[in-house]
Amino acid sequence: MKATRSFSMVGNPNCGKSNLFNRLTGLTQKISNLPGTTVEACSGSFSIDKEKYSIQDLPGIYSLFTKTEDERLVVEHLIGKGANKPDAILFVIDASNLRRNLLLFSQVSELGIPTACVLTMEDTAIRRGIEIKLPELEMALGVPCVFFNPRKEKNTDTVREILKQPRAPKLFGSDTDLLNRLLLYSKGKTIAGLSEETLRRYIDIEKIIKQTTIKHPVGVKSLTLKIDRWVTHKIGGYAIFGIIMMALFQGVFSLATKPMEWITNCFHWISRGIEDILPAGMVSNFITHGLLVGLEGVLVFVPQIFILFFLIGLLEDTGYMVRASFITDRLMQKVGLNGRSIIPMVGGFACAIPSIMATRNIKSKSERLATMLIIPLMSCSARLPVYVLLVSVAIPFKQFWGPFHAQSLVITSAYMSGITLALLLALAFRLLKRKQTQSEFILELPTYQKPRLQTVLQQAWLKCVSFISEAGKVIIVISMILWFLSNFGPSESMKRAKDEGAILSQLDSNHASEICTNLRLEASYAGHLGKFMEPAIEPLGYDWKTGIALITSFAAREVFVGTMATLFQSDKDKPSGIIEKMQAEKNPSTGKPLYGLPYALSLIIFYAFALQCMSTMAVIKRETESWKWPIVLFFAYGLIAYLGAYFVFQLSTLIQ
Amino acid sequence: MEATADLLLQGEKAKITGLEDGQFSQKLAEMGCVPGTEIIRLYQSSRGSCIAYRIDTYLLGLRKEEARMIKVMPFVPDPLPENTV
Repeated sequence: MKATRSFSMVGNPNCGKSNLFNRLTGLTQKISNLPGTTVEACSGSFSIDKEKYSIQDLPGIYSLFTKTEDERLVVEHLIGKGANKPDAILFVIDASNLRRNLLLFSQVSELGIPTACVLTMEDTAIRRGIEIKLPELEMALGVPCVFFNPRKEKNTDTVREILKQPRAPKLFGSDTDLLNRLLLYSKGKTIAGLSEETLRRYIDIEKIIKQTTIKHPVGVKSLTLKIDRWVTHKIGGYAIFGIIMMALFQGVFSLATKPMEWITNCFHWISRGIEDILPAGMVSNFITHGLLVGLEGVLVFVPQIFILFFLIGLLEDTGYMVRASFITDRLMQKVGLNGRSIIPMVGGFACAIPSIMATRNIKSKSERLATMLIIPLMSCSARLPVYVLLVSVAIPFKQFWGPFHAQSLVITSAYMSGITLALLLALAFRLLKRKQTQSEFILELPTYQKPRLQTVLQQAWLKCVSFISEAGKVIIVISMILWFLSNFGPSESMKRAKDEGAILSQLDSNHASEICTNLRLEASYAGHLGKFMEPAIEPLGYDWKTGIALITSFAAREVFVGTMATLFQSDKDKPSGIIEKMQAEKNPSTGKPLYGLPYALSLIIFYAFALQCMSTMAVIKRETESWKWPIVLFFAYGLIAYLGAYFVFQLSTLIQ
Repeated sequence: MEATADLLLQGEKAKITGLEDGQFSQKLAEMGCVPGTEIIRLYQSSRGSCIAYRIDTYLLGLRKEEARMIKVMPFVPDPLPENTV
């Protein structure tokens, strides 16, 4: 059924817009791009008297004259640039903050779009001694208004009622030429007299507030202030931030382990089933070793990503993340970033892709770019399986270096080297770029509130779905290409491998299939590629098998583990198999373990720095609107990773 | 006796009298820093590089340089009954 009318939700940040949206649309919502743009917005539908209405939740904005990417695209959507101007607006006003909310209303009113108005947070307003006379407000604004508390009320009938008849708002500003000026502004022209205009608007708003509200004297006691005293304390604040971050990672890793096992098992079960049903051959091999491996590579990370999004969502919903920006701004500013960078940087530990998109609310262009460029250095969840495999191979589990558990120490150092390099590069970037765009940090610190579980869960889930479809496409395609490369090769060498395999497997019938697969792989295009690379990666301590794994993991880093597993033909159900086999390999010239500590450290450093993620490159291209940065980053981080790995390998070989 | 918001002491109340002309005056105005509004300095991050204020009814975090652009008149108790706004 086609929607009768399309609504867009407009309002300040933190006004309760998304909660209201959830109440209205329930389970009909999905994340999609705003028509003609790359801004993601939630859309959904609801019905009144059996008629269907579609509604879109837009990012919160303070003003139509705005500089951040996200906000600018909201404005373009409202003025109908791109496509699909909304039929009507559902304007959400935070009643406890009427003055500032009405500024945006006064600008939006001049777009002449029929509007209906919901006032949230009436309880907070009453606590602050503000009483709003609704009929008077309706008269003054010229649009239907209603109080609604989306945190407590479930029944949205009153809201639906006013949505039946949105009306064009009364003009109360003195601006006659808003649309033209908005268009000029969005093209980057400076508009004279903007702050004067804003002040004029406030004078008009003041009149409306006088007519429509009564102020009762109350004493203000605020829990928010009490909490803030702790979380912004000059020492305690950082300690709390540190503890929260540690808890976050512990949560992600410990909660995700089981679901990740389930997914892996599920895929094994499916691929066994397919091998049983289909006759052995090209098709079955392609499905189980090409397609399913690729799908598994995507889906196995969904639990981690979901949990991380959920926990970060909780922190944001309570209002804590803004305080983290507040206390870290000073350090961030020193290296050319912004307090706001901290949120996407933390997110980078889960996955760079959504985090790069989250940089959109950093206003300064150079700070936003710098944040985007260093996010790939935050060790994302895809590197973790690689780190874990390598430390397990090279370091006995019970080994301690001084008071430290050796394995954890190495993994922690990998994270720290990423962060350190990120901050250093941000600093270098700041020094290199002579012309800085003006930096600012004007940030509302919202009142703390209990997070709405349902909203946060739903948002996390929607982001996961968007991750699966965006990253999934790339990873599946690449893994299919890899399947081809490792199963086909120059016909001559493939034939030789086959003959050799036949002879050798007669000699050692216990390991026949292993030997054949190994030989075939060596003869395949992937094997040729690995051999071709060997001279380049030898100084880093890698052999040709690692070379193949390096190539395959350019699709997604965690593919490294799968590739090594295939190369060593171990049973994937028993990860100890591959660890033991790797430990047993000896360097033919020195007799020392081939995959020893220097190898592991060198490879961990390589993975910590190198940009081995197609999806990240694609999203950087999308956000910077050019291939320049992804290509520069690919080579720059590749070079740093190479040099770092070389240095670490040579040094640790010397020490050993 | 006019001052700027960064000079207020912790917990000190003042009234905004105007904004210094500059890059961010528009943004500050949009965020509600307009003449006549009450402003209280609340807390700060380490070394006072960022300062939190209560402006009207909500909390706003600013860098010191931005706070310097807000002209204020420190609050002297009004002899007349307060305007019921």
